[in-house]
Amino acid sequence: MAGHSDSSSSEKKSTEAMNDVPIFSAENMQNNMKVIYYSRTFMSIIGGVIAGILGFTGFMGFVFYFLVMAITSIGLIAKAKFLVHSYFDSWNRIILDGFMGGLMSFVLFWTFAYDIVHIF
Amino acid sequence: MAEDLVLDTAIRDWVLIPLSVVMVLIGILRYFVSKLMRSFQVPDPKIVKEGQVIVRARNLRAAANFIPPKSFRSRRVYFSNEENGLLFVPKGQAQNAQAQMFSDPNMAMDMMKKNLSMIIPQTLTFAWVNFFFSGFVAAKIPFPLTQRFRSMLQNGIDLSTVDVSYVSSRSWYFLNLFGLRGLFSLILGEENATDDTQRMMQMSGFGFDPSKSLGAEKDGLDIVQHEWALPKFEHRAEAVLKKLVS
Repeated sequence: MAGHSDSSSSEKKSTEAMNDVPIFSAENMQNNMKVIYYSRTFMSIIGGVIAGILGFTGFMGFVFYFLVMAITSIGLIAKAKFLVHSYFDSWNRIILDGFMGGLMSFVLFWTFAYDIVHIF
Repeated sequence: MAEDLVLDTAIRDWVLIPLSVVMVLIGILRYFVSKLMRSFQVPDPKIVKEGQVIVRARNLRAAANFIPPKSFRSRRVYFSNEENGLLFVPKGQAQNAQAQMFSDPNMAMDMMKKNLSMIIPQTLTFAWVNFFFSGFVAAKIPFPLTQRFRSMLQNGIDLSTVDVSYVSSRSWYFLNLFGLRGLFSLILGEENATDDTQRMMQMSGFGFDPSKSLGAEKDGLDIVQHEWALPKFEHRAEAVLKKLVS
């Protein structure tokens, strides 16, 4: 509990390890949310390019998007060493937040890569 | 029916890529221009004081359970006391502050500048796209859409038998507009003015009404039930110290 610091990771502990009432450091929480947002955006762009190159069309592409988002969630959870509650205030944040935000970027880069590779 | 059209490589070279590159560059340009044009506004001390009072009251409300009951109550009285409590503002006086804020020329100029810097590049780019890149198929979107989207997406193309997946450059422009937001947030770092939803949230938060928020804070403070969350605090401290010493 004392002196527990994550110097290498970019996520910061946001709760003090008080047993009764958890308090959250707002600044660290915000930083963690930003990390999630950036990770998801980046992964959706990369996922879009991959989907385009592999030639997914229609429904398969969206399934691939959800797959990429799930992989991102699992990666984030693993990075938080599975102690989700000491970095975020609820499960929903790390799993569902920013899900739909990356969709437009995914579609853009999917279309782009698909056209470049397959149509032209 | 769904045989693939083979499109000219020149379209890819001279339409798709330049359009995306131009939109990215315009976004970056707009970000730097808005940074340069942001005029420093002298904050009104009264408004700042009220804002800080609200922040204090909010902190008190959030951390109420960590201070002993008596001190919490004394603090609460300090805030919501009827005569000279900080959160209690007579109604007439507060309205003036809001009216003054809105007619303040600096603030109006700022908002207008922000709006313009957003709308003008979009309009110009859209006009440019329409002028130069209309009348041909620009891209194929990888997923099928219904016929209703045809008029929206295939604007320059006058054949009605072409698959709806083949879209004109206008829709490529819109696709870029929405999809590059994520890219901008990655390369431009923190909040940048390319996101419309963010901008609208900022604008709506701007017209904040001092008296209403003070009243809301006062009510919130009155509602709080104090629950002393650290009754065994001394025992815990003793246990930790014992562990350290032994």
